[in-house]
Amino acid sequence: MEERTPVLEMRDIVKVYPDGTKALKGVTIKVYEGEILGLLGENGAGKTTLMKVLFGMLKPTRGKIFLRGKEVRFKSPADAIANGIGMVHQHFTLVEVFNALENIILGMEGHGIFSKIDVENARKKLQKLMDELNFQVPLDVPVENLPVGVQQRIEILKMLYRDVDILILDEPTAVLTPIEVKELFAVLRKLKERGKTIIFISHKLNEVMEITDRVTVIRKGEVVGTVKTSEATPQLLARMMVGRDVVLRIEKPPKEPGEVIFRVEDLWVKGDRGEEAVRGLTFEVRAGEIFGIAGVEGNGQSELIEAITGLRKIEKGRVYLKGVDITGKKPRELYDLGIAHIPEDRTHMGLILEMSVMENSILGMHWRKEFSRGFLLDWGRVEAHARELVEEFEISAPGTKAPVKSLSGGNQQKLIVAREVSKRPEFIIAAQPTRGVDVASTEYIRNYLVKLRNENKAVLLVSADLDEVLQLSDRMAIMYEGQFMGIVNPEEVTEEQIGLMMGGVKGEPQK
Amino acid sequence: MSLKNELRSYLKPLGESVLAILIGAFIGAVVLWLSGYDAIAAYKALIQGSFGSLGNFAETLSKSTPLILTAITFAIGARTGLFNIGAEGAVYFGAIAAVAVTQNLRNPVSGILAGLLVGALWMLPAAVLKVYRGVHEVISTIMFNWIAFYLASWLALEVYENPMNPNSTLPIPPGARLPLLVKNSTLSLGFVIALFTAVVVYILMWHTKLGYELRTSGLNSKAAEYGGINPKVAMLWSFVIGGMTAGLAGALQVMGVPPSYSISQGLANVYGYGFDGIGVSLVGRNHPLGVIFAGILFGALNAGATQMQQTGVPLEMVKVIEGIIIVAVAVPGLLDMFLKLFRRDRA
Repeated sequence: MEERTPVLEMRDIVKVYPDGTKALKGVTIKVYEGEILGLLGENGAGKTTLMKVLFGMLKPTRGKIFLRGKEVRFKSPADAIANGIGMVHQHFTLVEVFNALENIILGMEGHGIFSKIDVENARKKLQKLMDELNFQVPLDVPVENLPVGVQQRIEILKMLYRDVDILILDEPTAVLTPIEVKELFAVLRKLKERGKTIIFISHKLNEVMEITDRVTVIRKGEVVGTVKTSEATPQLLARMMVGRDVVLRIEKPPKEPGEVIFRVEDLWVKGDRGEEAVRGLTFEVRAGEIFGIAGVEGNGQSELIEAITGLRKIEKGRVYLKGVDITGKKPRELYDLGIAHIPEDRTHMGLILEMSVMENSILGMHWRKEFSRGFLLDWGRVEAHARELVEEFEISAPGTKAPVKSLSGGNQQKLIVAREVSKRPEFIIAAQPTRGVDVASTEYIRNYLVKLRNENKAVLLVSADLDEVLQLSDRMAIMYEGQFMGIVNPEEVTEEQIGLMMGGVKGEPQK
Repeated sequence: MSLKNELRSYLKPLGESVLAILIGAFIGAVVLWLSGYDAIAAYKALIQGSFGSLGNFAETLSKSTPLILTAITFAIGARTGLFNIGAEGAVYFGAIAAVAVTQNLRNPVSGILAGLLVGALWMLPAAVLKVYRGVHEVISTIMFNWIAFYLASWLALEVYENPMNPNSTLPIPPGARLPLLVKNSTLSLGFVIALFTAVVVYILMWHTKLGYELRTSGLNSKAAEYGGINPKVAMLWSFVIGGMTAGLAGALQVMGVPPSYSISQGLANVYGYGFDGIGVSLVGRNHPLGVIFAGILFGALNAGATQMQQTGVPLEMVKVIEGIIIVAVAVPGLLDMFLKLFRRDRA
């Protein structure tokens, strides 16, 4: 970049947590007006910490922040927003029972306790903003009933509504479908045209390559370097990010699938709002194959998984495991029959964050004889079990007694995978198994799913990450509005075909 | 868990509770001083009255007995994600049941079993309303406490009234009374039973499948469901076990406390323990073992209050001091919340 004053500079930022962890060891970044700066790094590299320092959520141990050449220090996010810096967090900060409109105007509804909220004016202003950006969200539905992707768009709108000039996006695509990512990128480009500055935090190489102008790579709390995106390659960035060449390919030897393990016949399931979320699905998963379900999120995938794992009522249709009718069985029975479930929401469903690694390592199998001694739980054996999982899956945890919330996202996810596999299942349902997980763990988990398939297990993979489905599946379906638009061979299908099916156009039937 | 680690995990909350007690005592002293009393003398009397002699200490333990049990009711609820404040009503009926059953079955075991059973039964309506109709347990248990008060008052006055003494119910017959641990005191075997109950509940909550399921439901009901646990069943258990310990508190209160061995007029000797138990549970960190120490502290405050009054501090002031200390010791719960918020900001 030419020598002009950066709109924002963070100089020599050091952050040491009270427990002595050095999250940032002197990080300097410069952001120029109207650019998209990528902040690339693995989970735990310090990207989020750095941005929280900028956003006034954390006090830096040392270091200075300059905004348009003037030194600033934000005491709170509100302070940062007032100065034109907005942030969209990885974990949303929406009031679940409020609708989009209420969430967006929250905090801007006027100052007096009794002052009237001008909802209609806000709605008009918001609608105008959405029209300009071609970025629509339903304003009147409680956000808890909206898909994650839409919730994120509301978060972004919330910031735009506050007229910020500098927008920080923390892993914004972690929860988005490929199409939503494209939409997001289109919006980001529009924002850039209007002179807004964007800091894009990610660990996804392709996205950083696609959307950013420059990339600053952070590793273990230090800046590894800053490069112009036009001069970078994914391989170069990957090397900078992890300090080694990452194998992004998955080894998957060809394999003939065996007998049918899992079969669904004409399945109908209702969503939370009573809509037909799953509409007459029929499919089967065989031993030794990974059956992938791709599709834009919110097209019934979650409801399908919940229905076949006993968490949601099946309206119509039958489900079979190894020829036995398991329709309507409870989760406990299903686990005992040989189903394992890696849920899409690891922090709300897959784990009890306050409980220890040990206690989490037996969730969904705690009733098994191997873990009890008469009336009592045999904590000795539970611990041995947890230790085995930690060792076998290379989970980095302070100990088996440490609460799970002290683990990084990738390690939490590995713990879930480890636990589910330890149930010794015949059939594994993996929903969004690598969402929000760092590169190394993603690679590990993907390879593990392939390993299960090689061991002749049946695997159902449901993922919004199209690359993941393409890479891992032996057969794949594309789901749209509760139905399959087609079941295809991932090696033969073209991107265009998939794109069409994701958009609701039925594909040619393939084997 | 190894013993050492387990001890360490208790040390911090213990330290925080002790700190809060000291702060509470200090503020109480300031209030006394501002009101023109000799704070040091008053506190001396308070400590003397609660720990000064074997008899006084016995009184402390005696007063702590029902508090430990009602605190467990609240603690189990809190661990299961419930704010169950229905112990109060279950105490009354536990006491009534003990009086009623021992008139014919003249042994302590039948009285205790009756207390456990009726306490559990009394919690059932609130439990069923919560689980099947979604009625919030705070609302239902408050309401049920009032129903309990008047229903129990009526039972005490009309059904089990003592024809020889209009101020109380029929006494527990001598064969069903609990033996005293210290002569000329009110400390009975009931205290040991309360301790035993606390240990049993601890084992239940931390060393059994049921306890694992209750705690899982309390922390994350969605994860519980995913893990093959029915959070509704967990809640039912939580109410029922909590009702049992509260009912037991009522039964022990009439079977173990001389001289009357009966329920006095206006339910005076069984009233208030359910509510005080909430504070005791908070101070004891909603943990059955922590509750033992918190219960003894509260027992000491109650026992020492009489002697403190003799230094000229009016009874009302004694209650004010008690209140301040209770608020202060309840603060660690708040302190934790603050710390949590603070940490989340920093994380």
